[in-house]
Amino acid sequence: MADEVRTAQPKEFYRKYLEQGVRPDNRELGEFRPTVLDIGSKNGSCISTAEGSALIRLGNTIVICGIKGELAEPKTETPTEGYLVPNVELSAVCSPQFRPGPPSEQAQVLSQFVANVLKNSQCVELEDLCIAPGKMVWVLYADLICLDYDGNVADACVLALTAALSNTSLPVVRVDEETGKTETDFKEEKKIQLTCTPISATSAIFEDNVLLVDPTRQEEELSTGLVTVVTDGKNICSLEKPGGSPLKDQQMRLCIERAFQRHTEACNLITQSQGSTLSTLTSPLVDR
Amino acid sequence: MAAHMDRIVLPGDKISDLKESETSKKVVLGPGLRTETEDVYACKPGVLKFKEPNVYWIDTHQKRYVPVKGEHVIGIVTQKAGDIFRVDIGGSDQASLSYLSFEGSTKRNRPDVKVGDIVYSRLLVANKDMEPEVVCIDSHGRSSGMGVIRSGGFLFKTSLNLVRKMCNPQCVLMKSLGNKFPFEVMVGMNGRIWVKGRTNKETVALANAVCAAEHMTNPQIKAMCHRLADALAGFE
Amino acid sequence: MEVMETSTNSPCLAALTCVLGDLSQADGSASFTHGNTSVLAATYGPCEVRMSKEILDQATVEVVCKPRVGLPNCADKYRERHIRDLFQATILVNLHPRSSVMIVLQERQDDGGLLATSINAACLALLDAGVSMKFLVAAVTALIDKDGNINLVPEEKPSDVEASASLTIVFNEKDLQVMGVTSSGKFSQEQYDRSVSLCRKATEHVFKFYRESMERKLSKSV
Repeated sequence: MADEVRTAQPKEFYRKYLEQGVRPDNRELGEFRPTVLDIGSKNGSCISTAEGSALIRLGNTIVICGIKGELAEPKTETPTEGYLVPNVELSAVCSPQFRPGPPSEQAQVLSQFVANVLKNSQCVELEDLCIAPGKMVWVLYADLICLDYDGNVADACVLALTAALSNTSLPVVRVDEETGKTETDFKEEKKIQLTCTPISATSAIFEDNVLLVDPTRQEEELSTGLVTVVTDGKNICSLEKPGGSPLKDQQMRLCIERAFQRHTEACNLITQSQGSTLSTLTSPLVDR
Repeated sequence: MAAHMDRIVLPGDKISDLKESETSKKVVLGPGLRTETEDVYACKPGVLKFKEPNVYWIDTHQKRYVPVKGEHVIGIVTQKAGDIFRVDIGGSDQASLSYLSFEGSTKRNRPDVKVGDIVYSRLLVANKDMEPEVVCIDSHGRSSGMGVIRSGGFLFKTSLNLVRKMCNPQCVLMKSLGNKFPFEVMVGMNGRIWVKGRTNKETVALANAVCAAEHMTNPQIKAMCHRLADALAGFE
Repeated sequence: MEVMETSTNSPCLAALTCVLGDLSQADGSASFTHGNTSVLAATYGPCEVRMSKEILDQATVEVVCKPRVGLPNCADKYRERHIRDLFQATILVNLHPRSSVMIVLQERQDDGGLLATSINAACLALLDAGVSMKFLVAAVTALIDKDGNINLVPEEKPSDVEASASLTIVFNEKDLQVMGVTSSGKFSQEQYDRSVSLCRKATEHVFKFYRESMERKLSKSV
């Protein structure tokens, strides 16, 4: 019976649940889905050929992130800065709504969002990626691929990227001053230092007044707007609310508070999973 | 009610103190007004108008036509598809026109309609969820002026409120032009006007006069028509 | 065709100028200038919609942002999405199912606050076209400098201190609540709250400006 109502009248179905302050998947309104993080290292289980990688499961949503390093010449105006190029791919694998072919609008928007987060938070100092000023720098390609789209890909992408970056090591490259030849030392590796860990938290606005943290795909479709807050623990790195229904100042404050909470949770998760290969974050409230 | 009359409102403005009808205690809301919970809000920019006893609407300036049932429109036939014609009436969707909805047409006696023809017709179905349908007959099966126009003339597009202004009985445009020289005119509520004078020169002059009248007052229109007649007669 | 120019000076915002009905073929158009940032907006609709974008119970809002030179890039797409989501919630989309409302925004000059200017230009163009809307929206950009001072963009007297963050906030006219936010750079919650109250005050001037522009346009056709 419940399934029929869920398909036929999804709004009504959700309204019934939300009246009780609970969501159909047993979560509370402000609760994230169980998060599984797998940070890959050279001997880890993720992408072993990449410089850094991470796989995240947020409920059913799966995003994998690989970081590849390449050498390139820097721009003339910024001779000491490397590049960090994020790209989000929503392939036809993750949901029937995406078709094979050139990146969809949503994929482009997500890529831009991730790029903005990196730029605003300045978590990677681009000057650290410099090998020889004006001659050679690192280009880090951060490829984020969504394998299963069940809502809230933005948060998954940011977490996957932060986790992967926090565990990225690059071989030491030396440039011979006279000959200009490069020498790569694969035995000696240097970890990338993150100045901060940006973590995002998205809430969906349901019927103009209820805020649902970490929306599933169905919740995203039913919602009348999304708010994404990215924090680095102290400050807000990005606050995105693209249209949708108006939000009271009070509600916005709640979103920001939740983002700070999420930051603490996610940081713990990253530290834990760096120790072991697989970590799960399940909120203590839910018995699974 | 003077406070309400001819006030300029923008979308989202709350309209309070509406005058109800004394007998039914009701207010009639016309185009551009909507209710949300208990209050009345404007949803279009324009001039708030009121008509005794209890009718309110907003006079908007817009160019895009939204079909309304019963209105006369000028359409252009774009396609012949079996038993129906597709007619572009300037709305979001093309209207359909059955071959049977012409005066005197039967299954045997099909009307002579070609792609590109101008038809003067009336909207029979105009619903946001359905495709609009136009007909060229009235409820008695008579053409009453509607049908295919193939006698020359000139079709041009104007804003919707110029058309409404021309149709207003208080507007002197048609009367003053008619006093000067004879002509034929067809006014579609979708902002399309067709005119035909005795000569091509007159037709073009008429079209220009109609366009120019958009922001004129009645005395100005009269003066303009006077000048136009003089110019056409070769006095200037 | 009629062209109407309105401009205003307010204490806290740079000069606003707009020309309504500039384009003869568009259903509604507005050329809006805020300080030195200028955007030309044209709207069409409700008109026919591409089959793939058709929504059964509401109108599709399509936004196209054209950069000054070159092809649209990811940042333009991002802007498009932001503006589209905003107007999908602002236009009474349920009145015109299976049709499309198209907003085309051409950047003319960018001297800061391009998103805010684009939003305001789009809103004026929609007003000019007479598209049914729930309420009006207006956006203002605030800059937070390294000392924590907050200024509105474009500034009349650009400060010497480099900005560390910027916030573009969209409000509706009905109850002046936050409709949309975009940010760049880092800032604290307290700075956000202060920016909101500053921008909220400034948008009232923008709304007043909308009203003046429309009054000038409509007084002609009474």
